[in-house]
Amino acid sequence: EVMARRRLGGPGSWPPTCRSKCGRCAPCKPVHVPIQPGFSMPLEYYPEAWRCKCGDKLFLP
Amino acid sequence: LLFHLASPLGDEGKALMSIKASFSNVANVLLDWDEIHNDDFCSWRGVSCGNISTSVVALNLSNLNLGGEISSAIGDLKSLQSLDLQGNKLTGQIPDEIGNCVSLLLLDLSNNLLEGDIPFSISKLKQLELLNLKNNQLTGPIPSTLTQIPNLKTLDLARNQLIGEIPRLIYWNEVLQYLGLRGNMLTGTLSPDMCQLTGLWYFDVRGNNLTGTIPDNIGNCTSFEILDISYNQITGEIPYNIGFLQVATLSLQGNMLTGKIPEVIGLMQALAVLDLSENELIGPIPPILGNLSYTGKLYLHGNKLTGPIPPELGNMTKLSYLQLNGNQLTGGIPAELGKLEQLFELNLSNNNLEGPVPENISSCTALNQLNVHGNRLNGSIPSGLKHLESLTYLNLSSNQFRGNIPLELGHIINLDTLDLSSNNFSGSVPASVGDLEHLLTLNVSYNDLGGPIPAEFGNLRSIQTMDMSFNRLSGDIPAELGQLQNLASLILNNNDLSGRIPEQLSNCLSLDKLNVSYNNFTGLVPLGRNFSRFSPDSFIGNPLLCGHWLGSICDPYPPPK
Repeated sequence: EVMARRRLGGPGSWPPTCRSKCGRCAPCKPVHVPIQPGFSMPLEYYPEAWRCKCGDKLFLP
Repeated sequence: LLFHLASPLGDEGKALMSIKASFSNVANVLLDWDEIHNDDFCSWRGVSCGNISTSVVALNLSNLNLGGEISSAIGDLKSLQSLDLQGNKLTGQIPDEIGNCVSLLLLDLSNNLLEGDIPFSISKLKQLELLNLKNNQLTGPIPSTLTQIPNLKTLDLARNQLIGEIPRLIYWNEVLQYLGLRGNMLTGTLSPDMCQLTGLWYFDVRGNNLTGTIPDNIGNCTSFEILDISYNQITGEIPYNIGFLQVATLSLQGNMLTGKIPEVIGLMQALAVLDLSENELIGPIPPILGNLSYTGKLYLHGNKLTGPIPPELGNMTKLSYLQLNGNQLTGGIPAELGKLEQLFELNLSNNNLEGPVPENISSCTALNQLNVHGNRLNGSIPSGLKHLESLTYLNLSSNQFRGNIPLELGHIINLDTLDLSSNNFSGSVPASVGDLEHLLTLNVSYNDLGGPIPAEFGNLRSIQTMDMSFNRLSGDIPAELGQLQNLASLILNNNDLSGRIPEQLSNCLSLDKLNVSYNNFTGLVPLGRNFSRFSPDSFIGNPLLCGHWLGSICDPYPPPK
C-alpha cells in the first residue's frame, strides 16, 4: 500500500532527512558511506549507501 | 572392572578435540586445547559456553592461520549458536554434519579455501540469521533449500565458483537484508520476483554470467539501497521504472544495455553513485542529470553517447568523479564544469570535443586528474591551470592545442604525469618544468617545440619516462640528465639536437630505452657501463655519430686511438 501511494507521487528519490534518527545527538546529517562488498579489486570503488551521522557516530536513516 | 577410561571431557570436549585434530597449524594457536592439563574446555581459546549448562555456544577461531579441514565432529556441538572460522586456510568440504548444529544463528566460514558443494543440510539450520561463505572455492549450485531458512538476514556467497541459476524462491524471503553473490559463475536471468525481497537493502550480483533484461517491475524493489548488477551480460534498455528505486548506488556497468539513458534517472536524487559505463547506450546525456545534486560519482564512459556535455552537469555540486570518456560527444567543454568544487577526477578523453579548455576549469581546485586526450580541442593551455595545485595527472595529448607551454605548469608541484604530446605546441620547453620533482612521466612528443632541452630537467629526480621526440629541439643533451637515477626511457629522436652524447648519461643506471636517432649528434657514442645495451637503432640517422654499428663513420668501433 505504501508503494501504491508512492507510485501516485511519481518516480524519483531523495536523500534521507535524518530527522530524529541520531537519538539525542545533534546535528544529525545524511552522509554517503562506502559499503565494503567483501573482497574488492584495489581500483574498484565501493558501493555507497546513505547513513545519518552525528559526530563520528552513524545511524540508520 | 567398571573403572572407565573415558576422559572427563564429555561428548562436547571430545568433539572439540576431534575438531582440533583435523586442523593443522594448531601448535601455537590452540595450545590450551589440552584435555590432559586443562579439561575445562569452556576456558579454551575461542570457546564460549552457556551460562547455565556447559555446552559450547560459540566457537570463534577467526584469523588464526589454521589449515586442515572442518571435522564432522562439529555436528556434535548441538548448542552452538555462533561458528566463526573466517580468515583461515581451511580446505576440504563443509561437512554435512553442520546441519546438526540446529541452534546456529551465525555461520561464518568466509575467506578460506573450502571446496565442494554447499551442503543441503545447511537448510536444517532454522535459526540461522547470517550465512557467510564468501571468498572460498565452493562449486555447484546455490542450494534451493536455502530458502527454507526462515530467519536468514544475511546471505553472502560472493567470490566462489557457484554455477546455475539464482533459486527463484530466495526472492520470497521477507527477512533477507543482504544478498551478496558477486564474483561467481551464475547464469539465468534476473527474475521479476527479485522485488519480493521487501526487506533487502543490498543486492549484489556483480561479475556473473547473468543474461536477459532488467525486469520491467524493477521499480518495485523500493527497499534496495545498493543495486549492483554490473559485469554480466544483461541486454535490452534501462526500463523507465528504474526511476522508482530509492537506491544510493546504481551499478549497471559492463553489460550490453542499449537504448538511451532514461530521463527519469535525473529524478533519483538519492543516488550517490551512478555507473552506466561500458554498455552500448546511445543518444545524448540527458541535461536533467544535472538535478542529481547529491551524486558523488557519475560514470558514463565507454558507451556510444552523442551530443554535447550538458552545462547542467555543473549543478552536480557534490560530484567528485566524472568520467565521460570513450563516447562520441561533440561540442565544447562547458564552462559550468568550473562550478564543481569537489571534482577529483575529470575524464573527457576519446570523444569528438572541440574548442578550448575553458578558463573556469581552474576553479575546480580539488581536481587531481584531468584527461582530455584524443579530442579536437584547440586554443592554448589556460594560464589558470596553475591554480590546480592538487593535480597529479594532466593529459592534453592528441588534440589541436597550440601556443606556448606556459611556464606556470612548473608550479603544479604534485604532477606525476604531464602529457602534452601530439598537439601543435610551439616555442621552447620552459625550464620551470624541471621543478616538478614528483614527475614520473613527461611526454611532449609530436609538437612543434624548438629551443634547447633545459638543463633544469636534471632536477626531475623521480622521472622515469621522458619523451620529447618529433619536435624541432636543438642544442646539446644537457649533461645534467646524467643525475636522473630513475630514468628508464629517454626518447629524443627526430629533433635537431647536436653535439656529443654526454658521457654522464651512462650514470643513469635505470636507463634501458634510449632513442636519439635522426638528430645531428657527433662524436663517439659513450663506451661506459650500460651503453653497450643500446642497439644501433637507438642512434641511426646521425651521420656524423661514431658507434658500434656497421657502416658507422668510424667502423670498426671503438676506433683505434
